[in-house]
Amino acid sequence: MECLSDEILIAGNEGTLSPIEAARVRDHLLLCADCRRAAAAFRLLDSVLAQPVLHNPPERLIPQVMQRLFPALPRLTSIAAMIAASAVFLITWIYIYFDFSSSSLIQALRLTTDGTSGWLAGIIRGITLVYNGAQAATKALSALLRIFLPTPLGTAVAAVALLALGGLLAATFLRPRLKKAKAGRS
Amino acid sequence: MQLDEDQSLIRKTLGGDRRAFEELMRKYEKRIYGFVVRMVRNEETAVDLTQDFFIKIFTVLDKYNFEYKFSTWAYRICYNLVIDHIRKHQAQVDSLDDESVSARDLLASDNVCREDGFRALSRTETRDYVWRVVDQIPLKFRELILLRYIQNLKYEEIADITALPVGTVKNRIFKAKEILKQEMVKDGMLV
Repeated sequence: MECLSDEILIAGNEGTLSPIEAARVRDHLLLCADCRRAAAAFRLLDSVLAQPVLHNPPERLIPQVMQRLFPALPRLTSIAAMIAASAVFLITWIYIYFDFSSSSLIQALRLTTDGTSGWLAGIIRGITLVYNGAQAATKALSALLRIFLPTPLGTAVAAVALLALGGLLAATFLRPRLKKAKAGRS
Repeated sequence: MQLDEDQSLIRKTLGGDRRAFEELMRKYEKRIYGFVVRMVRNEETAVDLTQDFFIKIFTVLDKYNFEYKFSTWAYRICYNLVIDHIRKHQAQVDSLDDESVSARDLLASDNVCREDGFRALSRTETRDYVWRVVDQIPLKFRELILLRYIQNLKYEEIADITALPVGTVKNRIFKAKEILKQEMVKDGMLV
């Protein structure tokens, strides 16, 4: 008596044989212990495969998809801060470029507000103070660069100093944010 | 037309409801990730591919035809995405075949009585063992086993997704089961 092929046994388990073939398989299994064992093995395999071991996806999976699909809009406060910073930068640049500190208009305003009080005088004094400070810093930086940059050593020192400053700023402001973002991802 | 649960969620998503799409993702994430991770055998790559899949689904959702089942359409997109990745990174995927933990290692580490075959293992251990063997069979058999048993698809649906004739799908799944049985015999899991 010839044993049944694996293909027939698998099809028998899946119930995809014709009624005549299925009856033939049943009859054979009654008589053949080897085929019975093989059929039982395939049945076991089927039952185990029907209950797959599914890996759990990480929790960050869906929030990250949502973030990629709908990136968060900047908050109103950050937009306002950005506009304010841009305005300060622009005004400072115009003030320094046109040297308004010595212009007649500013001098006139300063003279008008000198010795007076009130919120307008306070604002003008404050702005003048800030702009004078910015101008002084710019002049000092220019003078410093003029000292160092003519020599190769000076250029190198200036480059290293700028790099160190950049690194310091990055370490101070960026590192904690990166750490936080990384922790958020994991 | 009567809409099923998935299709209702799609309608809501197309109407601008983000939460509906999130719900749709939650419904499918485990099966999709489970399929992808067993196909590529790398968790990080599987996360990236699963995310790419959901983003792709979202971007082409307006092309979905409501006359068909969403799951079959989605699985076809997922399958194509994963197969494209595997084709591009063939060498990397092949090298994993040598590195993967063999089922025999599992048996050796689990201190089981191999002579008794499956009877020596609990139901969960048996499941883990069989699925580890599945992870090691060649891709052309593995992908069909995964579509059949993880995605719970019929032969006709698998044929549709993989663009293979139904006969080929059946034969390969039969062959895959034969390979699995042979591995189990080699490991002394069957007496």
